[in-house]
Amino acid sequence: MNCEIARRMTEANDPALAQHLRSCPSCIVGAHARYYEAPPALEQKIRASLRREAAPNIPWRWIAIAASILLGVSAAWNLTLLRSRAAPRQLLAENVLSAHLRSLNGTHLLDVPSTDRHTVKPWFAGKLDFSPPVKEVDGFPLLGGRIEYIEGHSAAALIYGRRAHIVNLFVWPSATSTPESSQTRNGYQMRTWSASGMTFWAVSDLNPTELGDFVSVYSRN
Amino acid sequence: MAQYVTMGAISLVRAPMAMDSARKLALFEQSVMPHLNAAYNLARWLTRSGPDAEDLVQEASLRAFRSFETFQGQDARAWLLAIVRNTCFTFLKKRGDQPAIEFDEQAHGVADESPDAESALLNQAALGSLNHCLEGLPLEYREAIVLRELEELSYKEISEIARVPVGTVMSRLARARRRLQQCLEGALR
Repeated sequence: MNCEIARRMTEANDPALAQHLRSCPSCIVGAHARYYEAPPALEQKIRASLRREAAPNIPWRWIAIAASILLGVSAAWNLTLLRSRAAPRQLLAENVLSAHLRSLNGTHLLDVPSTDRHTVKPWFAGKLDFSPPVKEVDGFPLLGGRIEYIEGHSAAALIYGRRAHIVNLFVWPSATSTPESSQTRNGYQMRTWSASGMTFWAVSDLNPTELGDFVSVYSRN
Repeated sequence: MAQYVTMGAISLVRAPMAMDSARKLALFEQSVMPHLNAAYNLARWLTRSGPDAEDLVQEASLRAFRSFETFQGQDARAWLLAIVRNTCFTFLKKRGDQPAIEFDEQAHGVADESPDAESALLNQAALGSLNHCLEGLPLEYREAIVLRELEELSYKEISEIARVPVGTVMSRLARARRRLQQCLEGALR
């Protein structure tokens, strides 16, 4: 006797069922134990999560790689900007060169055209709050002087000649002393140094050796 | 001409990936989803809780879908039930339910055959307490009874799902049946 028969006997309330169930507990369970059916909502939930699972994957890996590259580029770019900002000396050199070029471009090379340092030096008095050291430099005749503005403060520009070349010597007082250095910028020679509370910048289209001579002679006098 | 070639190459690269996923889903829904009731029934009997069973069946279904590649066309119901069973056992173990398989076999070994048991079993109250008795069985016995009597799986299939030898399945079933009888008779006294 199988369980299907037992099930029918149960439905008919057949008295013979008792003996059968007694001898066959499997049928008791098969015929009478509760069979739990999945709630309809569960099936829908599972179908939805399966569809989510099967949906084409968003390539997060590649998005992450692209994002980190962008981040890296952005960081490098900002670092570059920061570095250019963090190099005031480079910016200063740029400004000094601009002042030199401006003086050669226009008609405003000399405010006080004089080869005599005793004329040039007093001329600055009253126009600047400092007195620039105006010196004779052997081999580089003094041509005159001029007022300049470099990075927001006044500076004295002393102009010397050498054959057809012009040397602008910019001088302004500064609290910090900078070590002597030279550089070439746009083909122009530039030298800077500090002495007795002043900052000096010499700019010219002379060759480095001749500008070096100019600086050493000027400093020696 | 070159454009056609390029377009062809792109669709060749893309199409199988998109189709694989859709085909897998369709195949899964067709072969595995019809056994959701069996999955829920097993989980419900093992955990004795409707909400737990729902969560575990959902988890097991996702697991099954993810490892659907390992399904080699054997019986989909038995395959799904094995995953459901493992998910439930992991859950119950984590929750701290002890698999109370070891109980005093001698004390419960032999059912006393009372003469009025036959009429007693016809009593609707006794049949009604059957579910209660089944719930009271130790986890492994309950598992064996549900798989055998409600899902009507073979001993071999049960042994693969429960990961025990066929002999163990048979002895678990025999003991489970004896305990059920005892429980039913006890409920009538």
